Amino acid sequence: MIYLDFAAATPVNDKALKAMGPYFAEEFFNPSSPYLPAKKVAAEYESAKAVIARAIGAKATDLVITAGATEANNLAFTALSLGEAEPTFKILYLETEHDSVRRVAEQCGGVAIQVLPSGLIDLEDLKGKITDGTELISVSLVNNELGTIQPLAEVAKIVREIRLDRMRRGVKRQLLLHSDASQALNLLDVNVARLGVDLMTLNSAKIYGPKGVGALYVSHEAKLRPLVAGGGQEQGLRSGTENVPGVIGFATVVAEAKKHVKNNRAKYRELRRILLDELQGYELINKKHTLDNFVILCYNGLDAERLVFLLEDKGVYVATGAACAASKGVRSHVLKAIGLSDSEIAGSLRLSLGELNDAEQMHEAARIINEVVLAERARING
Amino acid sequence: MAKTVYVGMSGGVDSSVAAMLLVEQGYKVVGVYMKNWSEDLPGMKCPWAEDLADAKRVAVKLRIDFEVWDFEKEYREKVVEYMLSEFKAGNTPNPDIMCNQEIKFKLFYEKAMKRGADFIATGHYARTGQFECVLSGTGPSRPSSRGSGPHTLAAASGLPREKHSQLSQTRLMRAVDENKDQTYFLYRISEKALARTLFPIGEMTKPEVKKLAEKHGLHNAYKKESMGVCFVGEVGMKDFLKKYIDVQPGEIREIESENVLGYHEGAVFYTIGQRHGLYLSGEKGAVNDGMPYYVVKKDLKNNIVYVSKNLNDEHLWTDKLQLKDIVLRQSEYILSGTGPSRLSSQGSGPHTSAAASGLPREEYSRLPSILVRLRHRAPLVPAEFDGETLYFEHKIRRPASGQSAVIYDDGICLGGGIII
Repeated sequence: MIYLDFAAATPVNDKALKAMGPYFAEEFFNPSSPYLPAKKVAAEYESAKAVIARAIGAKATDLVITAGATEANNLAFTALSLGEAEPTFKILYLETEHDSVRRVAEQCGGVAIQVLPSGLIDLEDLKGKITDGTELISVSLVNNELGTIQPLAEVAKIVREIRLDRMRRGVKRQLLLHSDASQALNLLDVNVARLGVDLMTLNSAKIYGPKGVGALYVSHEAKLRPLVAGGGQEQGLRSGTENVPGVIGFATVVAEAKKHVKNNRAKYRELRRILLDELQGYELINKKHTLDNFVILCYNGLDAERLVFLLEDKGVYVATGAACAASKGVRSHVLKAIGLSDSEIAGSLRLSLGELNDAEQMHEAARIINEVVLAERARING
Repeated sequence: MAKTVYVGMSGGVDSSVAAMLLVEQGYKVVGVYMKNWSEDLPGMKCPWAEDLADAKRVAVKLRIDFEVWDFEKEYREKVVEYMLSEFKAGNTPNPDIMCNQEIKFKLFYEKAMKRGADFIATGHYARTGQFECVLSGTGPSRPSSRGSGPHTLAAASGLPREKHSQLSQTRLMRAVDENKDQTYFLYRISEKALARTLFPIGEMTKPEVKKLAEKHGLHNAYKKESMGVCFVGEVGMKDFLKKYIDVQPGEIREIESENVLGYHEGAVFYTIGQRHGLYLSGEKGAVNDGMPYYVVKKDLKNNIVYVSKNLNDEHLWTDKLQLKDIVLRQSEYILSGTGPSRLSSQGSGPHTSAAASGLPREEYSRLPSILVRLRHRAPLVPAEFDGETLYFEHKIRRPASGQSAVIYDDGICLGGGIII
C-alpha cells in the first residue's frame, strides 16, 4: 500500500496510542468526580491541555476542547453578536474554506472573500468587503485541498488597522479573526500571537492523533456562546464529560509535531521533488505558497475519479479534491475558486504526503501513476 | 463489429455483475448511472453519490466507459408526482414500477438508442425470449429461449396455425431465481424497449451473482441491498410523504363498533391490510388480548382509518379484482367473440387482437388458467381474466388499491394492471 491521502486521515502515532491506553479502562474516572483518583485524572487532563495550548503560545484556559475541527469551527461563529438587523455584513470568509466554515458562514449570511489564482487570499477584495458591520473574518491557515498557506499575519494587520479606525470613530462593533489551522500544526510555526488570531481551530486527527478531538483557541477578545449546554465543562463553552484519552493523545502528537516541524518540511520537500521529477504529463496546480506535503496534479482531459479507482486497484490511495467533496458528488469549490475549468477540475488529483511515505514509495507511486495515466489516455484515444 | 450495450449501473452487485457479463460476452459496454434522485430528507442522507462512486469503480475496473445521465427532473415529474397523487387519492402506488416504465425503459432506452446502442441492459432478475407469434389468433409457439415450457393458451385457439402470418416477438419472462424474479416491476415496459433489452443475470440465482462478484473482485459483492422505493427506502416513505402531502391527524375506529381506538397521523399513510405501525390506545372497551388489528378501510373524506381484529373481515378478502391501466403484451391471448358468460363458445369466433381492436367488453373471453402475482415475491395465484377483472377460485387477501396485479402464462409475463 502506498497511502497518499494524509490530508484526509493520518494513522495514530505509536506514542499517542500508548499514552492514551491507560485512560480507557484504568484511569477511567470522571475528572469532575470528588475523590483522589479522579482528581489525578483531572490534573492530567489539564496538563495535556496545557501542552496543546503552549504549542500555540496560549494557556490551557484559552482552549475549548471539542469533538473535532468541525465543531470548533462551528463554535467560533458563536462569537457573533446576537439579533441585529443586518447579519449579512457580520461575516467574511475565504471562498476556499472547508465546508465546516463555509456552511456556517452561509447560514449566517456571510460574504465570501475571493482568492487569487495562486490560491492566496485577495487582500484588496478583503479590504473592500469589510464594513462597519463586519464582526468576524475567517481565513484558514492552510487550505485543506491545495495546501496553500495564507498570509494570516497580513490579514491580522488589516484587522488591527480596522479596529483602531473603529475606535477612533467611536464604532463599538467587535472585529475578530478566526483561522482554521487543522492541517498546519505539524509543519508550520503556529503561534496565536504571531499570527494575530482571536480564534483558532486545531485538529488532532490531521496530525497523527485520534479522530474526534479538536480544540478552539479563544482569545479574551472573543465572547462565545456554548453550542452544547450541560455540566459546564470547558469554561461552560462545551459541556460533556471530558474526552480524557483523546486529549492525552492529542497532546502527545502536538508535542511530537512541535519537535519535528523543521525536519518534516525538509523531508516532504524532497519527496515532493521526486514526484514532480518523475511524474509525466501533468500540470502542477499548487506551485507556490503551499505546504510541501501537498501535490495537486491536473491531468486535463482525464477523469481523476477513474484514476483514483485504477490506482486503488494497484494499492495507491489518492484523492480528488477534498475527500468529502468527492463522496457528495459535487465538484471542488476550491479548484473552481482558483480559476480551473470544469475539465481541469475533473482531471485533478490531490496527493498529500505523510509519515508513512519515503523516497522509495515516491518512485513507485510515480511509476504506477504514470502507467495508469497512460492507459487512460490510450483508452480515451481509442 | 461488437454490438454496443448501454447498461444501467446502480452501484449494486446485480447491475455490476450484469455489466461484467456483458464485457465477457464481447459487447462494447457503456455503463450509465441514472441520477434520478439526490435530495436528502431530514435524518436521511440520499446515498446517490456513494452509489454513483460504487458504480463508477466497477466500470473503471471493467475498463468500460461510464456516464452519468441526469433524469432528476423527469423522475420528479413522472414518478414522484404520480406517487404523491396516488397516495393523496388513498391508494398505495408502486413507484418502482412507474420508474421502470417511464425512466429506465423509456428515457434511458430512448437516449441509449439515440446514442447508437444496439441494446440496453439492466441488472434485473428477468429474462426475455423470442417467440414466433401468429398475428391473429393463436398464441406463441414454443419459445426459442430455454427454460420455459409450452404455452397452454395457444390451445385456446381453434384455428390452424398455418393460416396466419408469423413474426418473432420478444416476451418478458420470469427469472430463473424464482425468489428474486423482478418481472413484477417490469410488466409495464414497452414491447419496443423489451425487444432491445438484455437481462444478463436473469439466468442466474442471487447467490450465483454474489459469488461471481466476489470471484471477480467486485467490491460491491457484499453491499447492502437497497429495499423498497429506491430513493427513500421503506422506512422513509412516511417522512417523505409528510414533506409533500399536507396531512391531518384523525381517528382510528374499530369497524364493528365504530369505537375510537386511537389516532393516526394521516389516513394516506395507511394501507388496507396493514397491521404494523398502528398506535392504538385500547380505550372504549377495546380488549387488549394481544391480537393484532388490521386496517380494513379508509374513509379519506372524514380522515378515519377503520381497523378490525377480525382477519375474516370482508374488506380484507376478495375473489375478484378489477384492474385499470391494463397493459397486455400478448394481446392475441384476449380472444374475441365471447364474454365471460359465454365461455362455452370460446374459440369459435374470428380471432383478432381484442385489446388492440378496441372491441367492447362483452366481446372478450375469459383467459383461463393464467397466473397472477399481487406483490413482488408473492406466490403466483391461478386466476381467470376477462380483460378487466381477475377472478380467483379461492378468496385472496385483498391487495391495496394502486398496487399492481401482474399476469403470467407459465413463465411468460403477459402484462397486468393497477388494482382499483
